[in-house]
Amino acid sequence: MVHFIEVVITGLLVGGIYACIALGWAIIYKTSGVVNLATGQLTLVGAYVCFALYTTFGLPFIVALLGMLAIAIGLGILTERLWLRPMIGEPVLSVIMVTVGINFAYQAIVALIWGADTRVFTPPVFPMEPLMLGPIHVSQVFLYSFLVAGIMMAILVYFFQRTRMGLAMQATADDEMAARSMGIAASSVYRWTWVIAFMSCGIAGALLGNINGLNISISYLGLLVLPAVVIGGMNSIPGAVAGGLIIGVLENLGDAYVSRFFPGGVKSTFPFIVMLIVMLWKPYGLWGWVKIERM
Amino acid sequence: MRLPTGTHFDSYTADHAWWKTNFVWVRMVLLGVILLVIVPLFVGDYWLSFFNMIGYTILGAAGVQLLIGYTGLVTLGHAAPIGFGAFCCALSMYLFHVPYLFGFLIGMIAAGLLSLLFGLPSVRVKGFYLIMTTMAMQFITTDIILTQYLGPLAGKGRGGVLAVEPEMFSIGPWVIYSTKDAYIWMIILVIIVQVFMANLMRTRVGRAWMAIRDNDIAAEALGVNIIYYKLLAFFIAGALGGLAGCYWLTNLTIVSPEHFTFGWSLWLVGVILIGGVGSMYGHIYGAIFMTGVLELVKLVLVPLAGVLPGATEKFLYLKDLVFGLSIILFLIFEPNGLSYRWWQIKNYIHLWPFSY
Repeated sequence: MVHFIEVVITGLLVGGIYACIALGWAIIYKTSGVVNLATGQLTLVGAYVCFALYTTFGLPFIVALLGMLAIAIGLGILTERLWLRPMIGEPVLSVIMVTVGINFAYQAIVALIWGADTRVFTPPVFPMEPLMLGPIHVSQVFLYSFLVAGIMMAILVYFFQRTRMGLAMQATADDEMAARSMGIAASSVYRWTWVIAFMSCGIAGALLGNINGLNISISYLGLLVLPAVVIGGMNSIPGAVAGGLIIGVLENLGDAYVSRFFPGGVKSTFPFIVMLIVMLWKPYGLWGWVKIERM
Repeated sequence: MRLPTGTHFDSYTADHAWWKTNFVWVRMVLLGVILLVIVPLFVGDYWLSFFNMIGYTILGAAGVQLLIGYTGLVTLGHAAPIGFGAFCCALSMYLFHVPYLFGFLIGMIAAGLLSLLFGLPSVRVKGFYLIMTTMAMQFITTDIILTQYLGPLAGKGRGGVLAVEPEMFSIGPWVIYSTKDAYIWMIILVIIVQVFMANLMRTRVGRAWMAIRDNDIAAEALGVNIIYYKLLAFFIAGALGGLAGCYWLTNLTIVSPEHFTFGWSLWLVGVILIGGVGSMYGHIYGAIFMTGVLELVKLVLVPLAGVLPGATEKFLYLKDLVFGLSIILFLIFEPNGLSYRWWQIKNYIHLWPFSY
């Protein structure tokens, strides 16, 4: 029982980081309808930039994180302007494949700069000793990462609900045509969605880099986020956050209990199997809009 | 395609012919002679294996073309049926010593059934959700089925490499042993697949697929059984994938789960986008272009290896960079792909001196 609770708590804490990535994915999908297969690479770039600022330049972690966010703003604007703006109005598959191109290109650039070896944040940012809550061990890295991810998400929620740009984004997501006729510049909304996605994925990447060390394979998380948003419902941002938490728990439960019976590879594929089942039963996710197609 | 100025036909048969003018006949026969006689006689093993790679890419992309280009079912997991077909063929030959062609058939049917199984959700969902199911197919097949279960069946441990004795790849008295044999077998397979696909698109099945691609609700209203035809598309595309996988096995005599990654699935989709979606020759042009560009990068980097240490290790990343950038730039500047550009050039020549 203690083991079960530990697994669930660890899953929830990791799920907080996944929720950050899922949010970055969902905001782009919701406002511009682009299925972003480069999410993992945004995570990767953010993680490596933060690593470079912290370990190579020796800045304090908070400063490195803020510096990474600043760079993420620039990169987000650049990415949108260079590759996504020309694709407005093109077929969906083309836009998806542009993000696949970004996926390959950014990953290759990161690998060319930093190489494929695993890097570790030195000196370690978070203390290694686990925290004891009664009989339950909780790793401090996970706890603090969850907190940082939570703060990031709280800021974003404030941004969506209270600021002018956030409201413009909501309006565009709801009905692009109506929003444009009310004087909202869609292109600036798209630009800021990419900036937010880059920032939120970058934070998640930096936190994950603290947990397991940095490696090219962090970009795999960009794929893991897809079951999260599918389970949550694609056009629901709270759904994406909940989906991220669910995926975190599922992944850990799968690792702890199912991998005994189906050895190897369960941790990475379990979320996808659950996603397939959810899709057969509730194809639009738990909180997604049911799309009715008419001729 | 527009015909040269002044060409006309007096019968429907002539009007529907594949190769309508004598010039096209001469060109295609010449191409056949070059590919089947001159290339094997005068080209060395290195470049033959390069051609084999192009051929494998064409065979793999044919199924993707059928699904994305003709039926409108976006798949990002086509490496799964390719790998499954290759493993089933290898296992049946390794464990049960079945004849090569029979193993080939087993691989194709098994891959088709796998693709059919994961195509089942397409009955209910489409668009993004279909992308997700095909990605799930990719991860479940390669990471679990191939790595954990099919590899160990041959007693090679998890993620093991399956090797089949090269002598077993024989069709009657012809043993596909050298690179040259593999090359000729590749040309034969590509011709069979192209003829099969081209003719399929002219039948009821092909037209039903295109109707589904253009608007599936309208197609259903017109009496097309979309469930049947979507699943048929998955089965046939999977079987074509299996064929590609069996060819890959023949070419290398070994298969490993690492040959069938998600990256390879994306690569195949990139190939048809660059070549032209929904074009009978799109995947051929795309495969030649992408494999050629890759070779070019290699040719540039190899002499540099002496000057720049680590240039060869960086080849892998440069390859990805080139692939990513070429997809993006093609989609932005040439969204219809190479086949469209080629079509325009041909039209210009055909309509000369009245071209516009």
